[in-house]
Amino acid sequence: MSLLFFHARKNPWIIAAILLLVPASGLYAHTINYSLEKAPTEHVILFYLKLGFSHIIPQGLDHILFVVGLCLLSNKVKVILWQATAFTVAHSITLALSMKSIIVAPSAIVEPIIALSILFVAIENMLLTELKPWRIILVFMFGLIHGLGFASSLNEIGLPRNKFAVSILSFNIGVELGQIAIIIVVFALLVKPFGKKIYYKKRIVYPISIAIAAIALYWTIQRTLSI
Amino acid sequence: MKKKQIYILLTMVVIGAAIAIIYNYNKKQKEKQNAIYSLLDRKGPAAQTKEWVEVRKQANDLMIALKNNPTDTKTSLKLAALFIQEARETGNYVYYDMAAMRQINGVLNQEPNNFNALVFKSLIQLSQHHFADGLVTAQKAKTINPYNGYVYGLLVDGNVEMGSYDSAVAYADKMVSVRPDLTSYSRVSYLREIYGDYAGSIKAMKMAVETGGAGDEHTEWTRVQLGSLYEKTGDFNKADSLYNYSLALRPGYSYAIAGLARVAMAKNDYKKAIAYYEQSDSLINDNMMKEELAEAYRLDGQTKKAEETAKAVIADLSKDAQAGINDENIGHYADKELAYAYLKVNNTDKALEHAMLEFNRRPENIDVNEAVAWVYYKKGEFEKALPYIKTALKTNSKNPILLSRAGLIYLKSGDKATAKTLLQQANTTNAFIGYALRTETEAATKTL
Repeated sequence: MSLLFFHARKNPWIIAAILLLVPASGLYAHTINYSLEKAPTEHVILFYLKLGFSHIIPQGLDHILFVVGLCLLSNKVKVILWQATAFTVAHSITLALSMKSIIVAPSAIVEPIIALSILFVAIENMLLTELKPWRIILVFMFGLIHGLGFASSLNEIGLPRNKFAVSILSFNIGVELGQIAIIIVVFALLVKPFGKKIYYKKRIVYPISIAIAAIALYWTIQRTLSI
Repeated sequence: MKKKQIYILLTMVVIGAAIAIIYNYNKKQKEKQNAIYSLLDRKGPAAQTKEWVEVRKQANDLMIALKNNPTDTKTSLKLAALFIQEARETGNYVYYDMAAMRQINGVLNQEPNNFNALVFKSLIQLSQHHFADGLVTAQKAKTINPYNGYVYGLLVDGNVEMGSYDSAVAYADKMVSVRPDLTSYSRVSYLREIYGDYAGSIKAMKMAVETGGAGDEHTEWTRVQLGSLYEKTGDFNKADSLYNYSLALRPGYSYAIAGLARVAMAKNDYKKAIAYYEQSDSLINDNMMKEELAEAYRLDGQTKKAEETAKAVIADLSKDAQAGINDENIGHYADKELAYAYLKVNNTDKALEHAMLEFNRRPENIDVNEAVAWVYYKKGEFEKALPYIKTALKTNSKNPILLSRAGLIYLKSGDKATAKTLLQQANTTNAFIGYALRTETEAATKTL
């Protein structure tokens, strides 16, 4: 925690993230999956791998749109990979900390802010033309929030106490595979064939970003009102 | 406006929106914490009783006392106890559990080792199907006071639900030695039923009824349980007379009316069953009753009403579950119930999803294993059903529905010898197991 506060003095975005965690006063332990405590390790790995993947494809439409948004900023593979890495590192951190009950945020806060993050990235895609350092920081911050969202979903299924690390790692790998699949599809269908065309921004990035922003705005309002 | 300015504006709007979301959440949480939970109106004859007048007066007095002295833990716990009892009376568990939990958490914030608060907390956790948590809380209460009989009751219930039946038996023995009364005898009865001893179970439940005060809600609940044991052994006349006797002692008692409905169902008198179910449904919120009402409509040929009622059950159970997602203090797991509800509308995928969610929490519980096995059977995946039904049979329960389902699963899996034994056991009683299951069981028995 002290590490978080140290960085907070340097970056206002981290202050926002800490603010997000402040209301989580009612700490609760993660749900225990008793049935998997007796299952063989390979079964547990496969189970959480599949679970992580299915949390992206097909269940995680919001995460899918976020990843699509990350891919649309630039037609350079390096740019996409930088953002994907920042997102992955961030959500892995909060997922693990949240499942250990070290930081917990209520889904009533996390879900609308996830929608807000998609909205921001979509609009940003229309304003920026190249990767800026703060975009990486932002993606990292949003990744922290998405990790809390993953934790909330994972908590429904629970984790076996005796295979905690292996199951959370498998879940994370499953999530990564889901994200990589999305990136490959977007790259193959949009970036590779049209990325270098003059009309790429105008005819591909803008309409898709507007659609994503509209959906995200709807989710933000809907999720905020349902608190 | 330049792009840079738009960008700054966008950033500010997003930060502002995030802060607003957090502020809104905190505000609502505070409102929830400060909310005054008044009593909800009772329905039917229960709203006309002298007892209801007294309960309202008592609640009013306690609320005034708490307003004058919000840190009075004794008054808080009295109010929590009143809310817990009202939940039993009306079936409004989500509302009253939230009301009671607020009082209990307030007490535990001041006194983390308050025995009564821990007992109440465990009781609510068990009521909300958070069995593992309820067990942990009950254990903590036991370390504070190991001489209280009630805490052993909670340990029995928690262990039964988690499938630790040997521990449950040990705690039930301890409970009877500490407190031989309605609460302990009824638990002994329940455990004997689980282990397939219906004669012993009926004997213990009779003792439980005899030690209770006639007409009290707890006693009449126990009498209805005795009636249901007679139902499971095929003695509908005794069940019928117990339900009528209960109604004479406690007019309009919804669980007794639902008992009469089940007896009518067993006698294929669906119109009468529907009338009883509709009456009981108008008195209390209970999804089990609604599910049985849907079945009665279906058998009476009222398909549309049956479908509407079945869907209403799913909506209601899902709403309860959502309350748990929105408020971690009041998580209500209803996945086993949702699994059966989805089977009723032939959605086997959703049924499996919910059955497995419950199985992950309670892999040793026989009822949960039966639910998973039955869902796999309905999906036509008989081999997958087999290990679960084996676990469901581990206590040698003689529940006729379990035996019928197990027989059918073994038959479809190709083990005719075991299937025959199980179906014969199921057929030895004349118990009512539902029209569809009875028809399927009879047809299967003929093939053996």
